[in-house]
Amino acid sequence: MSEAVSTLKVSLWRGGSDGRFKTYTVPLKANQTVLDIVTWVQRHLDPTLSYRFACRVGMCGSCAMTVNGRPRWTCRTHVTKVIQNGMLEVAPLANMPVIKDLAADMRPFFEKWVAAHGTFAASKTRTDAIEPIKPDEPARRAADEAIECINCGACYAACDTVRWNPDYLGPAALNRAWSLVNDVRDSDRTSRLAAISAEGGCHNCHSHQSCQEHCPQSLNPTRSIAGLKRLSMQAFVRGEINA
Amino acid sequence: MLIERLQTDILILGSGGAGLFAALHAHAVDPALNIILATKGLLGKCGCTRMVQGGYNVALNPGDSIERHFMDTVEGGKWLPNQELAWTLVNKAVERVQELENEIGCFFDRNPDGTLHGKAFAGQTFDRTVHKGDLTGIEIINRLMEQVWARPSIGKLEEHRAVALIKARDGAAIAGVLMLDIRTGMFCFVQAKAVLLATGGGPTMYRYHTPSGDKSMDGLAMALRVGLPLRDMEMVQFHPTGLLAGPDTRMTGTVLEEGLRGAGGHLLNGAMHRFMDKYDPKLERATRDIVSRAIYAEMKAGRTTPNGGVYIQMSHLGPAVVAKKFKGMVDRCRDCGFDLAGGLVEVVPTAHYFMGGIVCASDTATELPGLFVAGEDAGGVHGANRLGGNGVANSTVFGGIAGDVMPGWIAANPGFRTPDEAMLVAETERALLPFRNPQGDINSLREALLDAMWDDVGVVRDAGGLADGLIKIAAIEAELLATGVADTDRTFNLTWQDWLNLRSLCETSRVIALAAMRRKNSRGAHFRTDFPDPGDFLTSRFTVARQVTGQIEVGEAPVRFTHVKPGESLLRADLAAE
Repeated sequence: MSEAVSTLKVSLWRGGSDGRFKTYTVPLKANQTVLDIVTWVQRHLDPTLSYRFACRVGMCGSCAMTVNGRPRWTCRTHVTKVIQNGMLEVAPLANMPVIKDLAADMRPFFEKWVAAHGTFAASKTRTDAIEPIKPDEPARRAADEAIECINCGACYAACDTVRWNPDYLGPAALNRAWSLVNDVRDSDRTSRLAAISAEGGCHNCHSHQSCQEHCPQSLNPTRSIAGLKRLSMQAFVRGEINA
Repeated sequence: MLIERLQTDILILGSGGAGLFAALHAHAVDPALNIILATKGLLGKCGCTRMVQGGYNVALNPGDSIERHFMDTVEGGKWLPNQELAWTLVNKAVERVQELENEIGCFFDRNPDGTLHGKAFAGQTFDRTVHKGDLTGIEIINRLMEQVWARPSIGKLEEHRAVALIKARDGAAIAGVLMLDIRTGMFCFVQAKAVLLATGGGPTMYRYHTPSGDKSMDGLAMALRVGLPLRDMEMVQFHPTGLLAGPDTRMTGTVLEEGLRGAGGHLLNGAMHRFMDKYDPKLERATRDIVSRAIYAEMKAGRTTPNGGVYIQMSHLGPAVVAKKFKGMVDRCRDCGFDLAGGLVEVVPTAHYFMGGIVCASDTATELPGLFVAGEDAGGVHGANRLGGNGVANSTVFGGIAGDVMPGWIAANPGFRTPDEAMLVAETERALLPFRNPQGDINSLREALLDAMWDDVGVVRDAGGLADGLIKIAAIEAELLATGVADTDRTFNLTWQDWLNLRSLCETSRVIALAAMRRKNSRGAHFRTDFPDPGDFLTSRFTVARQVTGQIEVGEAPVRFTHVKPGESLLRADLAAE
């Protein structure tokens, strides 16, 4: 099988937040993702290149990076789809500390997930039967529309508000909170609404829609956040939460 | 060498279904306990539970029964499962699924009337597989992970690799685990009163494999070095339809789901002919092992596609129908440049799950006091074959049990044990070996191992091939031990990690080949052309391998039929016939 050898120039971020791009020449192949390019550099050109991946198929959200300026899952991004003028530039996810090279520190992202009360609070126990819930009930449909987030951080990296206000909880955490306030089994609704209404909460969102534009799962966190704003106002008017 | 020292009551290795459940349960038993959860990647994001597509087998429906789930598991495992473990699995799965829904917050798919939906899955006599679409693992792990993140007192060591289990000075129990902080490149000894090994199996030593890229059988390699017995090590489950996208792409080997064949997908060889009629009357709907062997036979006969596999074709079902019904798979293929709905996609059998593992009791205890095991690192639950839907049940059931059991064990065996310092030094030196050697091409060695295991210790085996495989494994390992990594920067050094991964894979590969040589019959996932018959079920034996003074010894032990014997059933005859 003969293959015309063509190459691609790829610039990869090296170092910490004060690092810089370094350019490599990599062979182009028929079936090649951005993760494969990064892997090729580590295996053949520079064994010290650091990056993160796990599942290889878009289920774990470990390998998101900034690819030609946009946050993407590198394992599911075919190179031919993203090359611009024969160039590929890969950097760590924005809005997170850089650990090294292409690996970002996702800890603040998950700390905000917790701060938004993005955790189910039980109202039943393991000895109770499973609650019958019709899948077409409006609340359940709202919860389900937001549920398929794999916490890859692409929306958080794309969010202008996070960039300007590091305390902002961000689209993924708020999207999870929206799913939970619509979950009839959850018992933490009021304090969750208070948490997402506080400083750094849903009212910071300017509806720039970057999150839904960049979500690889085609979720719409902007809509979830709009829903939270509505519930937050209602709860405030009813005196359930403080301003 | 000076290394950092930490102390904790409980150390959990792994953040899949087993590790996360263990942390939550141990914390619930006694919130004052110090618990550290260490994981090779990011918490809940590496490993394989998250990659579960199918679902979770549980006998919750009034028309189903624990006994029926048990019989399916034991018969699926070709009478090799440890029946106490299988019995615990099917019983505890009921409570665990209710816990996942009611306490952890998972929401599984419902029927229109609001009751839980159970889907049909191969090899089962009842539609008992609870699921969330075809991405069940994501729902389970996301919900577990956020529960663990919300408990700040559970210590979290992310991107920490377990290097070695360290025994106490007197050798009578475990003292802790030598860890490597991947980010800093620094070692750390975590002294613990109890340790749970839940790193997951993951047979990534085959040319085509499905597990997460971080998996390298480290748990079983570490267990071998402390002399623990490993059972059923010949049992590697192959999934028939892994994506085949050629070399140099991490996409190759990843699973295209079972349901594609179930829905009527066709397999075509390189000559564009359907071939399953030559192998099984159920055609493409035959079980995983049969379809895998059939594809392998076509490949051996040279009737292959350009990349050396076969095609899966779905388009005759209507591209629009396929795109709707298998959205996840169609999207994934499209992102990678393939048209699953309307075109042909190359596929190949791919190593998927490891049934073998550490011999353990139903309470997850191992032979080494203080060390517990759960999930894919544990052996005996599935025997010769795992049913789809029993994998995540296994990890979550036994992870939870380990979390329940360890606090009591600590109370009965209080205090830290003094580590064997010589072992600590030796293990640290062992992990630093690549820095003493001249730099070399680790990836080509990895590829040589993957080819050797695929060609000689794979889907179809025989004595000659296994012997060749053992020679190749030894040569690759010897070359690895003489090959180094540049010692210019140890921080987040993936090439160093690749070296360590490959060493674990060489060690466990050897055990697979030796156990496969020992089993002179064909059961479930293990098929030998020189011994094609399954053998007598009533006198079934399982293999047990252990490392004794640096050598692997493989023996056998009889299966104890503590609940049901071959030829009998726990189901009433009238019901069993259904």
